[in-house]
Amino acid sequence: MLFNSFDFLIFLPIVFILYWVLVKDIRLQNILLLVASYVFYGWWDWRFLSLIALSTITDYVVGFRIQNSNVQHIKKRWLWVSISFNIGLLGFFKYFNFFIDSWVDLLASMGYQPQNVWMLNILLPVGISFYTFQTMSYSIDIYKGKLKPTKNFIAFAAFVSFFPQLVAGPIERATNLLPQFLKKREFTYRAFSYGIKLMIWGFFLKLVVADRAAIYVNAVFNNIENHDGLTFIAATLFFAFQIYGDFAGYSLIAIGTAKLFGFDLMTNFRRPYFSASVGEFWTRWHISLSTWFRDYLYIPLGGNRVAKPRWLFNLFITFLISGLWHGANWTFVVWGALNGIYLIIEALLFKKNRKGLLNVFVTFCLINFAWIFFRANSLENAVDILTDIFTTPGRLYIGSGDDIAASLYATLAIIMLILIETKKEYFNTIFSISKNKLEIVRLAGYALVVFMILYFGVFGESQFIYFQF
Amino acid sequence: MIKKDYKISIFKIVKFLLILLIVDFTFGAISQYVFFNQKTGKFARATHAIEQTNAKILIFGSSHAHRHYVPEMFEKELQTSSYNAGAEGQQLLYHTALQKMILKRTKPDLIILNIDEDFLYGSQAAYDRLSDLHPYYDNHRKELKPILALQSRFVDVKLFFKSYQTNSTLVHAIRYYLAPQTDFKGYRPLYGKLNASDKLKEVETDEIETKIDQNFVNAFTSFIATAKDNNIKLVMVTSPNLIKKEHLDNESFRMMKEIIKKKNITMIDFFNSERFLDKYELFHDSSHLNNEGARLFSSLLAKEIKK
Repeated sequence: MLFNSFDFLIFLPIVFILYWVLVKDIRLQNILLLVASYVFYGWWDWRFLSLIALSTITDYVVGFRIQNSNVQHIKKRWLWVSISFNIGLLGFFKYFNFFIDSWVDLLASMGYQPQNVWMLNILLPVGISFYTFQTMSYSIDIYKGKLKPTKNFIAFAAFVSFFPQLVAGPIERATNLLPQFLKKREFTYRAFSYGIKLMIWGFFLKLVVADRAAIYVNAVFNNIENHDGLTFIAATLFFAFQIYGDFAGYSLIAIGTAKLFGFDLMTNFRRPYFSASVGEFWTRWHISLSTWFRDYLYIPLGGNRVAKPRWLFNLFITFLISGLWHGANWTFVVWGALNGIYLIIEALLFKKNRKGLLNVFVTFCLINFAWIFFRANSLENAVDILTDIFTTPGRLYIGSGDDIAASLYATLAIIMLILIETKKEYFNTIFSISKNKLEIVRLAGYALVVFMILYFGVFGESQFIYFQF
Repeated sequence: MIKKDYKISIFKIVKFLLILLIVDFTFGAISQYVFFNQKTGKFARATHAIEQTNAKILIFGSSHAHRHYVPEMFEKELQTSSYNAGAEGQQLLYHTALQKMILKRTKPDLIILNIDEDFLYGSQAAYDRLSDLHPYYDNHRKELKPILALQSRFVDVKLFFKSYQTNSTLVHAIRYYLAPQTDFKGYRPLYGKLNASDKLKEVETDEIETKIDQNFVNAFTSFIATAKDNNIKLVMVTSPNLIKKEHLDNESFRMMKEIIKKKNITMIDFFNSERFLDKYELFHDSSHLNNEGARLFSSLLAKEIKK
């Protein structure tokens, strides 16, 4: 089920009302959340529910095995069971064809054409990259002694499949989210109101900013032979805001929805395009994933507490794997590698904690350069686009027919977003509608945002970009 | 404490919804005023067809209808009034709805539907573009609901909001206010000739499926039934092609011809008319006639109808 569908508009109030009717029984609340989450996920494809169930059972059992064992190497063995199982699921469903394909290409480049290549016709289960990482963190945290396994299977299963963040995060740590399933949740007006506000802003980002920008971005990136450098620059800028609106919008709706049920999820975006360095960007963009890689890959590799060459290698390999996590395509690998290279250059040549608008601008350009690889349909396309940007400016495509209006709406929405985020970033203490003393001003402000969603939004029930990861 | 919070939440939500309704009503009414007062552009033409035209010959169809049928030629030949209600990019679902809305108010003597060979093949764009009908929902709920329900199950919920009814129409209104789009009773001519020596450029079209969509078949039969129920003569026409094309394998076209025959409807087929085949000077692009071609086609068609 998509957040931006009418199915969800009906689903959410039903679950919400039932949930708070059961306020006195936390166990029934968890059962309800579990059932609701499975319905939410099964709306796409019920067959893949078995994968979530398997992942849940595996890590539930592994958690106890690790805890109950007194021997270190047995604990480690069980940890590897969890890691192998979850990475195995990911590898099979997400990367199998990619690796086979790449292997065949490699052999072909050496002049050998393999016969009868064995490829699988498999669908990528939605959200598999997210929930496998979330369950793995549970077993790893138990292994590290940060967390004790829970005996409450329902609570654990509800934690793994919690519908607001099941398919595209934020990737929660068991240490933060699981305890919330084990204690009584209380309805508060404050949380309810905050949740609704987050959801409204999330829908604005998705339906008005991202989906409008997507019309132009898709028209350009899916027909690169018809466009030139200037258009590619414009489309890349649009894509920067499309992916931000899409993913930050999804995250806000997820956090807001969780708030309605009395849960606190972690912040996933903090105005990333105001970063003054790529290093800072990664503390503001998809925070739940970058901290996951930091805690479970970068630090175990030694982090920065090793010799400098090894530290730089750790940085690079972390981003390379992060790129591959995003999708089974070399474009994502190059995107990850580019970010790794940026960070190595920053670490070698620049001082930490840089500030200033010039640095913000340079960082924004670097991030956009990398987005070209992220969005391009293939590596060859990305190279063609870059070649055109540097050699053939051409004429700026502004859309055809109704697409012109879409580009204009997207531009207006992006300008509005930049103004609001600039105000939040640099002038947060001055006038704020959401903190205004007059209730009528606050409510009218949010009503206006809803109006803009209804008037300017795209209601095609489009997928969120990160669902494909 | 919790009960108090419940009460506050319900109270605030009600207040918020009331304010939202006021905002929606106010801005939605302004937006509708702007929408219905457009003088030119596709929405102005649709509004004119739905709310004002009393023309005795009405033309329906996609861009081929919009760009090929010159009302002036029909008026001259048939001595009666005519209006071109063709709409670019729109297909049978849209035209069935449009026909129903128009016939609620006025009864023409003749309806011409220009049929494209792929009209019955599934097309997501045909559903997506139905949103052009949203602004008319308040006044034509009965006619529009069955068709818009094919696009979304929650049509009443969505279109409850006035602002949603005119979603994304503002730029269109501003654009054609600043740069009016001239039309001649709904017809917009294309100028420029195709040169045989030029490499033929493929016209951008939506990806065409080759699977029959039963909703489109139903719309087609409904279009015929509505004309019959209102005792209006209906003529189905195919526009001329530049290059000779066989349609034996086209399931959509075959099915339409079958229905037309079964329902005893007049069909005038210009698809492979010798008057137009390989006449590059009569075409604007590989798929559309230029003004000269459209005038010739309209005149020939009017003569055929007169017979």
